[in-house]
Amino acid sequence: MSKPVVIPPLTQKGHAAHCNRCLAGLPASLLDLDGSRMAISFYCLGTLDITGLVDQKITDTDRESWKEWIWDQQAGGVYGSGFRPGPFMTTTENQPSQHLATYSNDYSTPHIIMTYCALLSLAILRDDFTKLDRKGLLQFLRSCQGADGSFSTIPGAGDGDLRMTYCAFAISALLNDWSGIDAPRAFAYLRRCRTYEGGYGQSPTCEAIGGPTYCALASVYLAPPHLAMPLTPAERKQTTRWLLQTQNETGGLSGRTGKLADACYCFWCSASLDILGDRALLNTPAMAAFLASCQFNFGGIAKAPGTTPDPYHTYLSLAAVAIAPPETEDGSWRLQPLNTLINATTDTVKWAKEHIPARAY
Amino acid sequence: MSANDPSDTILFAERPEWADLTPVSQYENIQPLAPIFYKPEYKDATDYFRGVVKIGEMSPRVLALTETIIRLNPAHYSAWQYRYQTLLATNSSLSAELELTNELTKAYIKTYQVWHHRRLLLTKLNDPVPELAFIEDALTLDAKNYHTWSYRQWLLAHYDRAEMWAGELPFVERLLEEDVRNNSAWHHRFFVVFERGAEAGEDIVKRELAFAKEKIALAPNNNSAWNYLRGVLDHSHVPYASQTAFVKLYVSASAPQTGTDEVVDLENPLPAQGAELPCAAAIEFLADIYEAEGKAGLSRAVPLWKSLGDEHDTIRKKYWEYRIREATAAAQTS
Repeated sequence: MSKPVVIPPLTQKGHAAHCNRCLAGLPASLLDLDGSRMAISFYCLGTLDITGLVDQKITDTDRESWKEWIWDQQAGGVYGSGFRPGPFMTTTENQPSQHLATYSNDYSTPHIIMTYCALLSLAILRDDFTKLDRKGLLQFLRSCQGADGSFSTIPGAGDGDLRMTYCAFAISALLNDWSGIDAPRAFAYLRRCRTYEGGYGQSPTCEAIGGPTYCALASVYLAPPHLAMPLTPAERKQTTRWLLQTQNETGGLSGRTGKLADACYCFWCSASLDILGDRALLNTPAMAAFLASCQFNFGGIAKAPGTTPDPYHTYLSLAAVAIAPPETEDGSWRLQPLNTLINATTDTVKWAKEHIPARAY
Repeated sequence: MSANDPSDTILFAERPEWADLTPVSQYENIQPLAPIFYKPEYKDATDYFRGVVKIGEMSPRVLALTETIIRLNPAHYSAWQYRYQTLLATNSSLSAELELTNELTKAYIKTYQVWHHRRLLLTKLNDPVPELAFIEDALTLDAKNYHTWSYRQWLLAHYDRAEMWAGELPFVERLLEEDVRNNSAWHHRFFVVFERGAEAGEDIVKRELAFAKEKIALAPNNNSAWNYLRGVLDHSHVPYASQTAFVKLYVSASAPQTGTDEVVDLENPLPAQGAELPCAAAIEFLADIYEAEGKAGLSRAVPLWKSLGDEHDTIRKKYWEYRIREATAAAQTS
């Protein structure tokens, strides 16, 4: 490095405490998270997992009741089964938690992003997955895929974009069963999202942006060899160039060309580089210094310095550090190793892959 | 629609016109994950909404109810979804709904659901032309809003009408006039020019190269314009070397001197007065040109990459060192 970068410590315990507080309750000002509580829970649990504090911070009672709450969100019906974001549309007053709940209308179906988040949250809590309706989950994936190859958030919504393509691929990888998706059609859609800059837009015709680029690359690399549709060497080079270009003079990475740096894009773009095998080309001390400056004094990490922290930016910042740690002697920057393609710690992914797939009888 | 204003504190539970409906409260187990401390009016409205969904009622009062919920939580996708189905079931005016959605779109511009609702309405209304003006107006609130741009691109591609495409280049130019670094506008230009399905001819490629270079001349350190220039060349398979004369103007430390009576060279516009030179993107571009020459160009490319890593783009030093290693290895094996 031309200039030595001074990196303040990463205050891991404060970030874990911020997420622990959010797990206990969110203020009314965050009402708009009602339809994505499972995702917020995943970012909070992920933060505890990546800081290695799950056992220390979660009591056995919490662990059991939280697992039960997540299983309560699993529901089956005509489109198959998966997880809902929370009970905000559950119309049965006394929900049985021992067996699969059912939905009887189109307004309380499972949600594909929430399903991905629920599976990983359960794996973080080391659930044994005996309650998982695997057959129903495969049917649910099929119900979400549209004629253009994209996946919608809920069956029939027609709101497909690359976020849900990624969730479908990640769920298939966790199940170790690819019969729930039509991979060639999914890839045809994914390829249409690539732009002249070398990144991917959220849907075809859209501007290149970090999050969907991660979703596209992770999907490409999660697919088993017989389904894979790899990038050409020229495409890879162009994508690496664009990803590295998102790092600006603040040390942080932006989601799109010319935009301001944002902590979450430090993850989406560095994870994308990691997938391409080019993580070593990133200026990691500069990125760490930027993320350090996004830390809030009382715990949590914000999108940019001086803004309010939240579990999403907290978890993704830590995940970015786990993937691309700065070269520093300071032990505060050491985190649990991450599985970049699934976006959870390697231990959690190992657990998930041992327990989520159907057992051979 | 003052009756639906969330500041109106009359709860649905207190409204006589809702007395016939049994509300359904939300079930949570003893210790839920990330519970939200709901406002009383939200709990009230969603209790009635769950009650409505349970019996499948689709009536005008459901429109009032869902509007209340949406104003409290614009990301409540089920409320949007049920509202849309209720609009269809009650034969409600979709034009009136679009009017309301205009307001909601601007109020909740970063919310996925409001844009999806708009898309569903348009698909039924089939009147896309006035949307273009609405979008341009919405962009004054946030000129780089991803949803707004996605919606415009969807609209153009979905309807594919010549009269809609016709205004797009002047539209992009207005936005770049305001902010030449607005990458969303650059992306939109690429979409309009090259992704309409029709093959862009040689004259169009020439026009686009001139456009990008004119904007680079105004503000050389603008990755959006350089990426566009690269995009046009890549798309039309024109070698980067075709731009050598232009790029060299931006690689030297000072702007080339011009006589006042000199003819303006549209293919090679000079950097604007006061432009910060040398320009890192130009150095990278010139190195790419040399690299493409193979072994012969290597000795000219390497010092350029070195100057990027050591001086002009130090944050990416590792990348420029990597480029040197890669090109050197490639030259040895060729």
